[in-house]
Amino acid sequence: MPALLKFLLRRLFAIPVTLLIITATLYGILMLAPVEMRAELYMPRGSSNNPNNNPERIRQQIIKEHGLNDPYPVQYIRWMGRLLRGDWGWSPGFRDDVLEALLVRTPATAELTLYAILLLIPLGIISGGWAGAKEHRAVDHVFRVAAFVATAIPPFVLALVLLGIFYAGLKWFPPGRLSISEHYIVTGAGFTPYTGLLTLDGLLNNRPDISLSALRHLVLPCITLSMVHWATLGRMTRAMMIEELHKDYITVARGKGLKERLVIGRHALHNAMIPALNSIALSAASLIMGVFVVEVVFSFPGVSEVVVSSMRGAPDIVAALGFAVYSVLLVLPVMVILDILQAVFDPRLRDALAEQ
Amino acid sequence: MSITRRFLANWQSILALGIIAGYVIVALSAPWMAPQADPQHPVAMRQLSGVRPSALYTPRPPQPGAVLGTTSGGWDIAYALIWGTRPALRFGLITALLTACIGVLVGAFSGYLEGAVGRLLMRVTDAFLTFPAIAGIFLFRYALLSVNTDVPQTFWQVVWQKLELSPTMLALITFSWMPYARLIHANFLTLKHTEYALAAKTIGVPPVRIIFRHLLPNALAPAIVLAARDIGGMVLLEATFTFIGMGSGLPWGALLVTSRDWIIGTGGNPLNYWWVFVPATLTLIIFSVGWNLLGDGLNSALNPRGK
Repeated sequence: MPALLKFLLRRLFAIPVTLLIITATLYGILMLAPVEMRAELYMPRGSSNNPNNNPERIRQQIIKEHGLNDPYPVQYIRWMGRLLRGDWGWSPGFRDDVLEALLVRTPATAELTLYAILLLIPLGIISGGWAGAKEHRAVDHVFRVAAFVATAIPPFVLALVLLGIFYAGLKWFPPGRLSISEHYIVTGAGFTPYTGLLTLDGLLNNRPDISLSALRHLVLPCITLSMVHWATLGRMTRAMMIEELHKDYITVARGKGLKERLVIGRHALHNAMIPALNSIALSAASLIMGVFVVEVVFSFPGVSEVVVSSMRGAPDIVAALGFAVYSVLLVLPVMVILDILQAVFDPRLRDALAEQ
Repeated sequence: MSITRRFLANWQSILALGIIAGYVIVALSAPWMAPQADPQHPVAMRQLSGVRPSALYTPRPPQPGAVLGTTSGGWDIAYALIWGTRPALRFGLITALLTACIGVLVGAFSGYLEGAVGRLLMRVTDAFLTFPAIAGIFLFRYALLSVNTDVPQTFWQVVWQKLELSPTMLALITFSWMPYARLIHANFLTLKHTEYALAAKTIGVPPVRIIFRHLLPNALAPAIVLAARDIGGMVLLEATFTFIGMGSGLPWGALLVTSRDWIIGTGGNPLNYWWVFVPATLTLIIFSVGWNLLGDGLNSALNPRGK
């Protein structure tokens, strides 16, 4: 299907522009700070937060050497060049190379996001579609109240209550990513991290127990994430479903004696879920935001660790900036995945976009 | 039926107004509901007095002197909830309104102006949509509140200090306006081809006047609905950020920070110390539900589709 390919290429071409605009904004924010702040970005590897080890002299030298008093566009382009070369700076608070620290933690975040999406999309579409098909009936009322509460409940309270019941009480689902002993197995010599996703790597290494344990650790974070984001998708699907069911083709389908299950399940739901999927693609950033929150609450060792550990000590602008740039790189793939899903379900979009 | 009549005919709108009025009344009457010990130096959270500091660690159940009990550290829950209403309303209103203003302006100009400027504005909108606001908080905090005293403040840091807004708020405003821009943009694309807009253009009305006088009033409805919902949503987000240590520390969220161990570490029954989180959580949920209901009510009053 070359049309779908064209559609995807268009989306992919937009990514560099997006990155350009976002990084320019982020560096622009940095321009509000004193120049000494930006000097942190160029500190040599191994330097620490201790001001005694980093005398003013080094700072001034960096400012002069890297032209940090130059006009904004010049500085920005220079910094961008460093980013592209993979030199994201050394975080004194975190005592590590920022890009390195982020990359190491990416599989954990990716795994969490992936499972959350897998859980949340069917949940939102089915519940919303069902409620829409039974408008003003009991199911619909239950759905609407539940959706209201789901958008209003603070995710961290939900997370804590779940932990209180299922971890402290029933001991079913622990926080973190793996237990300590399993962590040693995974990082040990006999275990090859093919993908970094522990649920997959466990199977590939013939250690299904590791996969199972990783899944158990993922249950609560995924439930929390889905509970928070399911409602947006569900409401949208419901609204679209109600709209679709008033259209003529539905009357025709019913008129020719098609079973109601097929009318709703095949005809109406299919058309209702496309705009709903589009809406969730647009809120991919808030999904990633939720992932960061859930990571902190469940002590899940994902990328948010980089900025969370940096906030206890002195201001660590390098980690903060790296994290900000990186979070866009996390949102973009999610958006592309959701775009693909949408295009797969919507031949109109596929063709229309390809014709342009 | 007029919009006001349609709005008030809906029981959900009445409920929403009731809830919001309740919070406003609490905010206004806070000095009488929970008198400050020292009115010259008001504090939003107070610790139980007359108890040994070491005895404050365990949360105390509701009792005279602390109607809803205390959290770990002896913080009076009822007091913090009452005095937290003002900053919460302030935070929600300022953040949502500024966000809406930026989004509406971007959407209006990008929708009306054809060519490069309009396209660029939409590109910027789409780019910002890929940025999670949470990742901007630290950048703003470090850039604007530099703690380094031996470095002189920049112009922007001085402006910032005078404004007394939190970095959380600024990050939320900077990275949440895009849905407004998209809504207004879409409305403008159809509205600018209407006959009255073309007529205004033909007789030489300047574009800025067409945008603000003729098109915006007709395109604004969905943005108003979204803004109403955002007021609750922003406060909820702030509480979440406060909980994970990235917020501006408004009392409602700050109260819940101290409850963490008393929900998990109580042997499997999170309700053992129910008062450390149930009242604060309900305060947040009802606040958010109130603004959401208001949004729904406005939505059905402003877009009477199928009625």
